[in-house]
Amino acid sequence: MSDTASFAPDHDAPIEYMRRTRDYYLALGYDNPYRWAHYVDAPFRPLGKPLKDSTLALITTAAPYQPDKGDQGPGAPYNAAAKYYTVYSGDTSVDHDTRISHIGYDRKHTTASDSNTWFPLRLMREFAAAGRFKLAKRFHGAPTNRSQRVTLDTDAPEILARCRQDQVDAALLVPT
Amino acid sequence: MSLVARYLERNGIPTMVMGAAKDIVEHAGVPRFLFSDFPLGNSCGRPHEPDTQRFTLDLALKVFESAVGPRTTVQSPLRWAEDGDWKLDYNNLARMSPQEVAKRRAEFDKVKQVARGQRQKAGVG
Repeated sequence: MSDTASFAPDHDAPIEYMRRTRDYYLALGYDNPYRWAHYVDAPFRPLGKPLKDSTLALITTAAPYQPDKGDQGPGAPYNAAAKYYTVYSGDTSVDHDTRISHIGYDRKHTTASDSNTWFPLRLMREFAAAGRFKLAKRFHGAPTNRSQRVTLDTDAPEILARCRQDQVDAALLVPT
Repeated sequence: MSLVARYLERNGIPTMVMGAAKDIVEHAGVPRFLFSDFPLGNSCGRPHEPDTQRFTLDLALKVFESAVGPRTTVQSPLRWAEDGDWKLDYNNLARMSPQEVAKRRAEFDKVKQVARGQRQKAGVG
């Protein structure tokens, strides 16, 4: 008996989304492949104080539900009309109906029927109440723009400015 | 989103990313990343399972507080299913018939048109 009998199957590893997506769109007849952001290094800023004393902001790629923009799920097909193109913010002390139909999530294996899996605001309120951190008064929505230039030149500075207005010490980002 | 994390971090706000697309986030390079090996759309735990959602957020906070340098990735021990067969499905041409590919091509043409119109309206096209 070889030791390899206890190995996991080769395909049971994190999906190579970039390769899968490139091959997919080539097969659909688009030969102008998306270029994902790529850097060799990454910045690092240690927390200035323990999380329990820090104001933590939630940054999401989810969209506010817009009744006039067609089917947004659960289980909706990809809905580009539900996309948004400027940063939006919401009051963290109340609940929000956020959807992800504008994003290429896994529509075969998940139906987007529980927003807590992409927008953990309620749970963050619970954790903040338990003293794990202080919840910033607003969360912020980051547009999922195909244009990385707009993300870098417009959206990211806008989110930073809003975080500073709210005296945020740390940020939790949840892409879908 | 990785670009936003990098931007905030560079400008003095430490960041933590919770996500499910490991290669994309790590290709960009972020300070701290909790990876859930789940279908895209479930960065914060399994649907309708508050316990796994609580576990995931708790782990993210622990990684946030304990990371000692950039590109820290921790993989959640949670499993989506007993086996990993779901991973073979996402946009996988090898699992699609030619008819399915043709149908998706037609759908994608429509989606692109809608997105183009939206970008023009928003003034970012």
